[in-house]
Formats: sequence, C-alpha cells, structure tokens
Amino acid sequence: MKLPLAALAAAFVAYPLILNDPFYHDIGVSLLLAAISASAWNVIGGYAGQISVGHGMFFGIGAYAPMLVYRYGELPPVVGVPLGIALSLALAGVIGLPTFRLRGHYFSMATIAVAELIRIYVSTADYLGAAIGLQGPAVGRGWWDLIFRSELPYYYIFLGTLALLLYLTYEMQRSRFGFYLRAIRADERAAASLGVPVRMVKLKALMVSAAFTSVAGSLYSIKTGFIDPESGFGLLVSVQMLITAALGGAGTLFGPLVGALILVPLQAATNTWFGGSGSGLTYILYGGIIVLLARFEPGGLGELWGRVAGRWRVRPAG
Amino acid sequence: MQVIVGGLLLGAIYALFSAGLTLIWGMMNFINFAHGEFVMLGMYVALTVVMWLGGGPTVFSFIAAGALATLGIAVYFSLIRHVIRGPMMAQILSTFGLALLLRYAAFWVFSANIVSLPQTSFGGIYNVGGIFLPASQLLSGVVAIALTIGLHMLLTRTAVGSRLLAVAEDRQAAMLMGIRPNHMQALAWALAAGAAGIAGALMAMSYPWSPSVGETFGLTAFVVVTLGGFGSVPGALYAGLIIGLLQALSAYWLGPIYKDMVVYALFAALLWLRPQGLLGTS
Amino acid sequence: MAAVFAAFALSAAATQAFAADSVKIGVLFPLTGNAAAAGQASKAAVEVAAEIINGKHPELADIPLAAEEGLPGLGGAKLELIFVDHQGNPSVAQQQALRLVSQDKVNVLFGAYQSSCSLTATAVGERYGIPFMVGDSAALNITGRGFKWVFRVTPIASDYAATYMRFFADMKKQGKTINSIAIVNENTDYGTSVADAVEAEAKKSGIAVALRVPYSANATDVGPQVLQLKDKNPDAVIFISYTSDSILYMKTMRNVDYLPPMVIGDDSGFSDPSFIPAVFDIAQGAMNRSAWDIGKPGSTTSKINDMYKAKTGRDLDDTSARNMQAMLALGEAINRAGSTDPEKIRDALAKTDLKPAQLMMGYDGVKFDQTGQNILASTYLIQLKDKAYKLVWPDKAAEAKLDWPMKGWK
Repeated sequence: MKLPLAALAAAFVAYPLILNDPFYHDIGVSLLLAAISASAWNVIGGYAGQISVGHGMFFGIGAYAPMLVYRYGELPPVVGVPLGIALSLALAGVIGLPTFRLRGHYFSMATIAVAELIRIYVSTADYLGAAIGLQGPAVGRGWWDLIFRSELPYYYIFLGTLALLLYLTYEMQRSRFGFYLRAIRADERAAASLGVPVRMVKLKALMVSAAFTSVAGSLYSIKTGFIDPESGFGLLVSVQMLITAALGGAGTLFGPLVGALILVPLQAATNTWFGGSGSGLTYILYGGIIVLLARFEPGGLGELWGRVAGRWRVRPAG
Repeated sequence: MQVIVGGLLLGAIYALFSAGLTLIWGMMNFINFAHGEFVMLGMYVALTVVMWLGGGPTVFSFIAAGALATLGIAVYFSLIRHVIRGPMMAQILSTFGLALLLRYAAFWVFSANIVSLPQTSFGGIYNVGGIFLPASQLLSGVVAIALTIGLHMLLTRTAVGSRLLAVAEDRQAAMLMGIRPNHMQALAWALAAGAAGIAGALMAMSYPWSPSVGETFGLTAFVVVTLGGFGSVPGALYAGLIIGLLQALSAYWLGPIYKDMVVYALFAALLWLRPQGLLGTS
Repeated sequence: MAAVFAAFALSAAATQAFAADSVKIGVLFPLTGNAAAAGQASKAAVEVAAEIINGKHPELADIPLAAEEGLPGLGGAKLELIFVDHQGNPSVAQQQALRLVSQDKVNVLFGAYQSSCSLTATAVGERYGIPFMVGDSAALNITGRGFKWVFRVTPIASDYAATYMRFFADMKKQGKTINSIAIVNENTDYGTSVADAVEAEAKKSGIAVALRVPYSANATDVGPQVLQLKDKNPDAVIFISYTSDSILYMKTMRNVDYLPPMVIGDDSGFSDPSFIPAVFDIAQGAMNRSAWDIGKPGSTTSKINDMYKAKTGRDLDDTSARNMQAMLALGEAINRAGSTDPEKIRDALAKTDLKPAQLMMGYDGVKFDQTGQNILASTYLIQLKDKAYKLVWPDKAAEAKLDWPMKGWK
C-alpha cells in the first residue's frame, strides 16, 4: 500500500519538471485545485452523505476574502485566507443548524438557495465589486503577494495543500468521528438510536468541509488574480466539485483526486478539439456523466474499481 | 395595484408548475432538480409549434403538455425508478445531472439566443379601472389557476387520484390493494411534467426566455413547494400566488435586483422557522 | 491520461502545420456558454478582417492593406488566426491564453468580449511580453493597470457616457427639456460599468438621475420596474440591457401605456438583430448608439457588410464591427512593424495613428495613449425609423432628421 502511494506522490512532484511548459503547468494547477475542492466537498458530501449542491458559496467566500483585504487594506491577499475560513465556518453554522434536523433534501435545497442568494447579493453590492468583480495585485510587491511569473510555485503550494487535506481526511476517516460519519451515511435513524450525536457530527463535518473549500477558493483567486460573482459563486463551481468527487467515488479518500485526473484533462481536451466550433459539448457531457453515474454506479469509479478488483482477488488458489 | 395584479398572475403560473413538483415530492419523497428544465422545454415546444406548425395557444399548450408528459414518463422509467431505492447521492445526482443535460442540450439545439413568440401579445390589452391587463397574461394566469385546482380535484375526488394518494401514503399497503405503484408513480411524473410543460407554454405567450431560465424556475419551484408544504397541491397554489406577489412587490419597492434575493431569503427563513410550510405536515 | 496529453500535442502540432510565413494571432472569444452568439458573431467578423488583409480587395481601397495580398511589410505574409473558446470563464481565459502563448507560440493576442476574461487574459500577455489587442471589452481597468502590452481600440464606458451628455446638451440647445433621466441597467459588469459612468457624467452635467434601476438580466417580468419609471416620469430613459430584456421592457411599457419622451438604448440588446423585428411597431423613434453604420450602398462600409453577410447571413452588428476594426488596426500596425517580433509589434502599435477616412467605424481616429486606450474612440447615435436605424447625431454625419419626442406606438 505504501509503495503505490509513494509512487503517486513522486509522480505528482515530478510532473511539472518533466512537462516543463507553462500551459501544462497551468493544467496541473487546475487539476490540483479541482482535487482540493472536490476532496473538501467529499467530507460532507461523500463521507457524511449530505449532498451539498451549492458548495460554491464557501468557495466564493474564500475567493473573495483575499481580494477584499487587498482592495481595502492593501494587505497581501494571503492574509484573507483565515478571514475566508472564519466566514465560511459561520455560514456553515447558519445553514447546518436548521437543516440538519430535517430530512436530507432540505439541506440540499438550502445549499442551492443560499448559494444563489449570496451570488445575487454580491453581484449587486458595490463594496464587494458588484458584477465587475475584484482584482488582486497586478504585479507582486514582494514574495508575500504570491504573484509568480511562472506557474510552478502555485503548483507546489497547491500540491502541499492537497496532501495536507488528504492526510487530515485519512486521519478523520480512521477516527471515531469517521466511524460516526459512516454510521450516519448508512442509516441516520439507526445511528441516532445507537447514541451517535447526529446533528453535531453533521455540523462538524460541514464546517470542516466549508473551511477547506474556502481555502480552495482563496488559492483560486490568488492564483488567477481576479474574482467575480460568476467564477466565485456560480452554479458551475458547485457542480464541478460535486461531479469530480462523485465520478471518482464520493466517500473514498482518493476518489476526488481520481475524478480530477479524469475530468480536468478531459475538459481541456474537449475545449481544444471542439472549442473552436462552439457547441457547448462539455456541459452536455457533464450532465450525461452525472446521470449515468447516478443510474448505474453512484459510488463512482472507486466503487467500480472495488468490484472489479474484488473479482480478481477472489480467485481460487492453485 | 397594477403591481399586485401582475404579481398574482405570474404567481399563478408558478403555482401550476410547482404543483407538479410537490406531487412528486409528496408521493415519492423525491426532489426533481430538473423540474425547471421541464418548464423551459415547454416554452421551446410552444416556440417550435408556432414556428413549424403555425399553431395557436391552444394547440401548443396541448402539445407542450403531451410532449412533457411523455418525457416525464420516459424519465421515470429509465432513470427514476432505478435510483429511487438507492442511496441519496444517486437520487440527487440523477435529476441534477438530468437538469444539466436538458439545459445544455437546449443550448445546443436552440442556441443561447433569447427568443420569444413572434407576436407582441395575443389578443390585446384590457384596461380595467386603470390597470392594464394584457390578455395573454390574464389568460395564462386564469388557466394556470384552473389547472392547478383541476389537479387538486383529480387527486382528491377521482378514483385515479385516490390510487395516487394511496401509493403516496403507503406503498406496501397500496400494492396489497392491487394498485401498481410503478404505474401510479409514472402517472405522477406524467402529470407533473405535463403541468410544467403547460406552464412553460403559458409563460411563453407573454415573456421571452432562453435555455438558462430553467435554473431560476427550478429554484422558484423549490421555494414555492417549501412554503406551501411538501405534498400539498393547494399549498402550492397559495404559495405560488404569495411568491409571485412577493416578487413583484419587492421588485417595485426595493428594486428588481432584490426580487430573487427576497424569495431565497424567505426560503432560508422558512427553513429556520417553519420547514413544513403553510399546509404541509412535517 | 498520457493518451490525453498525447492527443493535445498532436492537435497543437496540427494547428501549427500552417506555413511559417504567417503572423499568428491568438483570438479568445466565448464560443460556448451564455455569450456564444456574440462570440461567434465576433469570430466571423475578425475572420472577415483577416480575409480583407490577406486577400486582394481593391474595392475597399480606403482600408489600409485591403488592396494588396497579405502584409507587404512582411513580404506578403498572411495573418493566421487561432481561435480558442474561453466559455466566459476568466480562469479558462487565463489558461487558454497561456496555451496560445506557450503551445501555439502566437505573436499577438486578441479578445475577449467579457471584461472579466479580458482582465485575466491580458495579464498573461503582460507577463510573457505578447501584445494584446482588446476589441470590445468595456471595463475601465483593463487599460488602467499600468500594463505596457495592452491596447484597446473600442470606446469605453466613460466615452459613451460623455457622448450621451453631449447629446443632451445639444438637445437642450434646441429647446428640449432634459432635467432628469432614468438609467435602467442589467447588473453584470457591462451594464454596471456603463451605468456608473453615465451617472457620474450626468452629475457633472447637472442632469438629475431620477431613478437608477439595476436588474438581473434574463428577467422574466419587468412590470414593477416599468411602473417605477412611470411614477418618476423622467425626460429620457437610458437602457443598458441585453436583447431579451430590451424587448421585454418595450413590450411591458406598451402594456402599461408608458412612453417616455425618449428611450436610448446603449447598443447591446437594442442592436441585436432580433430587436427590431420584435418591437419595431411599438419602439419607433427609440435611439441607440453605434460606432458602426452600414452606410449607403456602394460605400466601403456597405461592401464590408456584404462580405460579412455572405459569411453569416446577418448584418454586421456594432460589437462585432468593433472587433473587426480592431483586427484591421492590428494588421496595419504589424505591417508597420515589419516583423513578427512581439516587441516590435508592440512599439508599432504604440505609434498607431489612423485617420477617420481609413476606418470602417465612426471613430475620430485610432491613437493610443500610454495606458493603451484609443483616445479618439467615439460613437454615433442612431434612431429607429420604420424598420431600420438611421444615423441622426452628430449633425455633421446625420443622414436623417432626429425626432424628439419619440413616437413609440402612437
């Protein structure tokens, strides 16, 4: 188990050095960002089984915070990261508290509605840049502004963040908290009757998820140097997180990463092949993938792999 | 006053398509994230009928209803039936994915251009005591209310209706009574989708649209259904009217930007204070 | 995944299979998504521009480089356009710009319609020292960041606002009453930046803004907004809206029988080909702005329109025309640079000085200040008469008489 993991890690570290070209670096950065967001979503959506369809709100908050501290305080954007986390935690509480005592659907609907609410509000609020959006520093004033000419530093920062997130998720999964999550996901009522503090656990999971999604958002806006309501809070942001995690296998540790490894290059490729003709094929593809997943393999590729691998293992000896 | 009437007329249409959503939710404990897209498709059916067959409102409304009802049944049998017994993830993903599929397929087929039916308005404008009522809006509103009430009657006063409700109440018991849940559920989907289709056709008479309107309608339907109480068609009627009114008033008093925000904020408030809505049972 | 990357490399190579004898221009547009229609129209427009430069078009002799084939300053080299779709997403715009620079090795970048995408894509150009020509995005800070590699030919929000105020001043001189106006704008970056500029200019000119109504584009029902307008009764209403909203507003105003003395549309929706057919009977006399006018049959502009129409089946609209003009100006500069070296192209751009007679647009010329903005950009005002817009202001270019108040449906 350790060896493949080490190999994987080595591959990721070496990738930008092997494919040493800004465009491929950027794809790598996008891939890592997608993996981080999806893995963050995975905590509440996969492990806890509470499907958030509006997770973009946490991403957006995390994305706006650095741009705001830069705009109003002339501070390095990275200072906004803890601010984003704090706000996201608060929002998680506001949403989670009322909805987690109700059926799962309410939570899902609440996530869409609140995400839309925030998006509309931000697009009308002048102090938040309104629809025009906010820009970060055009040129870095020092290394702390994190404006790099090359994509490479971003790549390694994102890689480190992903590694940290996956490690924390792994530890969580192994702990009693992880056990509670699995119980809740399997059968909420049964778990409650066994003494699992269901509401508290769900809330905690949402908060962890929100915090990391916020970090992902901050990384995005720092790297892109620009944020507006659509790229921060748009529906597509939420959908990307969800489909990436679900495709690879929600509720598994590496599922989101697998999803990202498939979807990000696929997206870039379809854009290259079809982009010029303008047919919007990418999203039809997304929709189709999601429907097929739901219909045939809701556990995503992770589950599919598990079954296939299982069949191999169950070979009679000799 | 004009504002109020306008809001109510639009609200009636909200009520119509939300009634379908609440029916499905009540019967199968299932949220159809693609409901807004059904409405959107109804609008495009109307457009296609007008452009290719030259039909009038009655014609395209019927065709929209029929086409969407068929789609509803197809969706049920190919997708919903399978995921309904599965994990929550699959249920939510299924119609969510369907919504994306339908929306972007519409973008592909119809392009992102905003379209509207070729006439300025069907039948002119009535002036009732200083309030201007375009005939098309008036007609749409009245028909919408009539259909919603009709749906309610169907559910509560007819044999078919009681079979539907029986399945909603207790699937096992209904089976024991010889009712086939699958058929009833498919019927529910047909009704819901058909209602959405007609609602779309009615709206197409007065307002322009593009494939992206499905998203907004879907969310509006959610709010209406939550406010009205899950499973309650009369609830959907009242809630639809209230939401339509609320939107129009907030647009007038606060500014049009806020009209959607107010609706979503109301939703958030409902979740905190009264999630079962006006007429629902928890 | 390796297979996917291999496919990349192949497709990138395929795009480069063109002759070495060409100037590569990377063009970023939204070819899918909400703005796809505009993106596709602009794509067609810049393709026509490249065709004008690359081919022999002596009938368009006013336009620099039309008469001969290719760029004489580079030995007849042709412009090669490489199109990418940024889907309206600023992050994708950034990535695609990177691809154009590092994979396709373009000499110049061009784009990008949405201001958010132009902002991120121009940053890439700046970082890698590739000139970026902005044909249409209106946000002020695209040229306001101290960048050296960004150039913008099109007028911006403040130019439009100033035009409107000059127009109002003219009208007042002719005895019309203009004490208050209303601004109705859709609330994405386009609508907001123009509305902000108009509000600021109105204040400077001493015209009161009776009402400012930002709304969400793609609105289904604008009844309440129109009633607000009716209550305030301004002397003119300026609409900064996309197509469906523009049509919806006109129809709703008709429904409640509210006709302001004048309606001015800020291009966009009012210029869309579907606007006139949808509301010509109720919107007679509505005004619009356009720096593009098809002109009399046989004129250069009319011939250009014919070329575009042959390609797309539609008349050239203002936004696409602005992109076409920017591409023509770019070609002229590259020709003067005499090289595909980005630094030389940039220097040539900075020295651009095109006269009005050399333009297809109604600008006063093309000359860039040190931020890269064309300081001679300007616009006409046109008015809907029957089923077409006619140029009515400024007087020196007018081809029809201006009607004030507008007739509407009466």
